Amino acid sequence: MKSSHQPSQSWPLVAGLPGAQETIYSFFSPSFVTLSYFSFFFSLNPFSRFDYFKSLKMKLDTSGFETSMPMIGFGSSSDMLDGFSTVPSFDLPRTTDFDGFQKEAVQMVKPAKGTTTLAFIFKEGVMVAADSRASMGGYISSQSVKKIIEINPYMLGTMAGGAADCQFWHRNLGIKCRLHELANKRRISVSGASKLLANMLYSYRGMGLSVGTMIAGWDETGPGLYYVDNEGGRLKGDRFSVGSGSPYAYGVLDSGYKFDMTVAEASELARRSIYHATFRDGASGGVASVYHVGPKGWTKLSGDDVGELHYHYYPVAPATAEQVMEEAAAE
Amino acid sequence: MSIFEYNGSAVVAMVGKNCFAIASDRRLGVQLQTIATDFKRISKIHDRVFIGLSGLATDVQTLYQRLVFRHKLYQLREERDMKPETFASLVSAILYEKRFGPYLCQPVIAGLGDDDKPFICTMDSIGAKELAKDFVVSGTASESLYGACEAMYKPDMEAEELFETISQALLSSVDRDCLSGWGGHVYVVTPTEVKERILKGRMD
Repeated sequence: MKSSHQPSQSWPLVAGLPGAQETIYSFFSPSFVTLSYFSFFFSLNPFSRFDYFKSLKMKLDTSGFETSMPMIGFGSSSDMLDGFSTVPSFDLPRTTDFDGFQKEAVQMVKPAKGTTTLAFIFKEGVMVAADSRASMGGYISSQSVKKIIEINPYMLGTMAGGAADCQFWHRNLGIKCRLHELANKRRISVSGASKLLANMLYSYRGMGLSVGTMIAGWDETGPGLYYVDNEGGRLKGDRFSVGSGSPYAYGVLDSGYKFDMTVAEASELARRSIYHATFRDGASGGVASVYHVGPKGWTKLSGDDVGELHYHYYPVAPATAEQVMEEAAAE
Repeated sequence: MSIFEYNGSAVVAMVGKNCFAIASDRRLGVQLQTIATDFKRISKIHDRVFIGLSGLATDVQTLYQRLVFRHKLYQLREERDMKPETFASLVSAILYEKRFGPYLCQPVIAGLGDDDKPFICTMDSIGAKELAKDFVVSGTASESLYGACEAMYKPDMEAEELFETISQALLSSVDRDCLSGWGGHVYVVTPTEVKERILKGRMD
């Protein structure tokens, strides 16, 4: 039913959401100005103990960003309390037909996930690989998109689905991880980081976000790999591939996988899987990037153009047809 | 995606000095999945007339077989090959016969007429002929092809230069299309010879 929404109401309403109440972490309510790659965040609680954040602020009117209900975590340590909400709040659009607008918003991103990304855990850490094509329907809009996002020096996220959604939420996750480090004087685990992202996405369920991402990193328990999607689903595993080219990548990955591989063998397997997916899938292509996450953080191993990789794996033999035609002409 | 984009295709024909070139991509796909990378879209009707068909692959093959049949009948009755202008009219009539249940393909016809004058034309799926003096395009990559051909085309090119131009136009256009590419197939036809070449392109 249509209802009139007050201009200052923010979404999602934190009260009453089961997912929000489970989160124990409390943070400053971050208000994001999503104009560019830089996000500034504000401490809206006047009783904040972290005064040095004030030095980062820009002079902006933040009245529209205030949350209606600050979130207090239950049973957590007092230095994390201070009554901050966990979810960034966005204003509702002022429309008469909010349901219709929502439907259009969902259709706009069209969760097609035309891409190929994969990640797997092996003896030496986590190998992460992706293609670099962005397509709009049948048109290739770019062959050089960065689909592996560097959340922080020891954690990577992959991008599948809507590019804007993935870039924004990964950046948001990076900020939350840094806040966790500052508040707890130690790095966040991969499990914790992926849980943060999953809970965030769950609260936007049904709004048309399109995110199919894998969080790969190395923490105290060793290598970690989680798959998180826009439904709020979160899966722990050793091998994942996401996107329209994933069936082809799985075929090559599953048949060549061994836990005891060296970094070189694993990177070749990852590169080959991406190559085969770009060959068969129309929505994947461009450059196959391969990253490795080890105990000291991630390193980029290779970024090979897939067009050249094809002739590297399958060199062209001279065709016999041309020779036949020359003989006929000589007669 | 529409039914014309189900298999994916790109066909282009260009006119040179007493010669013509016709080129196509080689991909056969089912929406985003690639099934084959050696699909023949350009077929010879006789030594001086070639037809390239873009669109639904099954109609490409069936329509080609019907046209070859009609041309063979013509050869038996008239004891000569069809002129390209006549052949274009034949294709247009056959397509319009199916006006209310059309063949889902767009042909590109290229041939050498009287006095070795090159002739090219394209049609929509119900037979509307469009003659051109320089180049014609069809397929899922047609918009990119228009741009590339417009930029690269010069009148009165010799056979070798024409080959280079049409190959570059084709490859750069299909590199912007998810549904076509995976190599190229080019025929350059002069009054004395037909040169068929396969292009090495990006296989993604």
